[in-house]
Amino acid sequence: MDLDANRSLIAAALGRIPAGDRTALQTVYRLTSAKLFGVCLRILGERGEAEDVLQEVYVTVWRKAADFDASRASPMTWLIAIARNRSIDRLRASRQSRNMAPIEQASEIADIAATADHALEGLQEHARLHGCLGSLATHERAALRGAFFDGNTYEELAARMAVPLGTMKSWIRRAMIKLKACLEQ
Amino acid sequence: MSDVLDHSGLPEEELLAAEYALGVLAGTERAAAEHRIARDPGFARQVAEWEQRLAPWAAEIPGVVPPPQVWDRIAGALPPPTPDRGLWQSLAFWRGLSLATGLLTAACVAALIYLGTLTQPQPLVATIEGDGHRHFVATIDAKRGMVAVVPAAFSADATRVPELWLIPADGKPRPVGLLRADRTVTLTLTAELAALAKGEAVLAVSLEPPGGSTTGLPTGPVIATGKLTSL
Repeated sequence: MDLDANRSLIAAALGRIPAGDRTALQTVYRLTSAKLFGVCLRILGERGEAEDVLQEVYVTVWRKAADFDASRASPMTWLIAIARNRSIDRLRASRQSRNMAPIEQASEIADIAATADHALEGLQEHARLHGCLGSLATHERAALRGAFFDGNTYEELAARMAVPLGTMKSWIRRAMIKLKACLEQ
Repeated sequence: MSDVLDHSGLPEEELLAAEYALGVLAGTERAAAEHRIARDPGFARQVAEWEQRLAPWAAEIPGVVPPPQVWDRIAGALPPPTPDRGLWQSLAFWRGLSLATGLLTAACVAALIYLGTLTQPQPLVATIEGDGHRHFVATIDAKRGMVAVVPAAFSADATRVPELWLIPADGKPRPVGLLRADRTVTLTLTAELAALAKGEAVLAVSLEPPGGSTTGLPTGPVIATGKLTSL
């Protein structure tokens, strides 16, 4: 689906939710639930939990749609952040992250950008982020991946990569500083 | 976090925003960051900026269609609909609205009679709304492969024309045809489109260059949408 058309369709529907339009929420659900379910499933690793959290996500969208500002954020960014945060809340409330397998820095998955779904997030934005992530050190990129895709905490990342907590904090913060500088170039 | 090594380059506040957006915080640190988002608009904006930077990464996560009962549970968790959202209430609303109302109602009725009388399956109706206005009312007779679209509060644009799209459960818009601001338009549905036009599908109207989109997908802004419902 054409990115701009999709974006304006989702943004327009979000704009109608604060007036109590259930059809608008259903439109948002139809256009975005597969992506957001994928995000929840990736972080939670279990379908039943991901379904519960997906329900929470759209009830949150219903309640908070008035906070969405189409002039400042893309609707998918806003929705993905809600899906990630509700999933992370669920992880933190229950147990440690699902994926705690040791991260072998050398065996980091090389490049799955080719499989990326650009229908909802722009090709250009993804390519730019991917390029900047590529400029990070391998261990920094691996740590960010564990946080973004597996919902790991600092402590969990330190355990998975077998480094002291302070070192992990330093890696992540340094990586985020570099990432921001690169994206702003 | 304050015991962490010195990082020149970004203030502590922005690093905290980055950590929250990435999701590495836990326990009281995460709770404190959430509390701050609610109270401190500057901090909330920094978090949103970090979310914007990181969100494109989610393109690497494959979509997975959730089972249908998830929507049912969401719908069940919403507050009950306010009474003035229904179609008949909407018609009543128009009736009192303006001089065009009588004509509109007559056109709706005519469309219903035209499409609905002889067929067994119930016609489907969609109120196509956007920006607080009801732009069009569409009535679909899937069996006969016809859709009648009555303009309501839609005002014409000098340079662009309204185009109707059918968006079935897979989320992909299919072009249906061009609409008119000044009169009812009756369009023919292909067999494929007629099969997709059932409850849960959505009709959308976008603004396109004269002659309509040439790409098979909306190229201009989508100004209104409406869900198909059985009469």
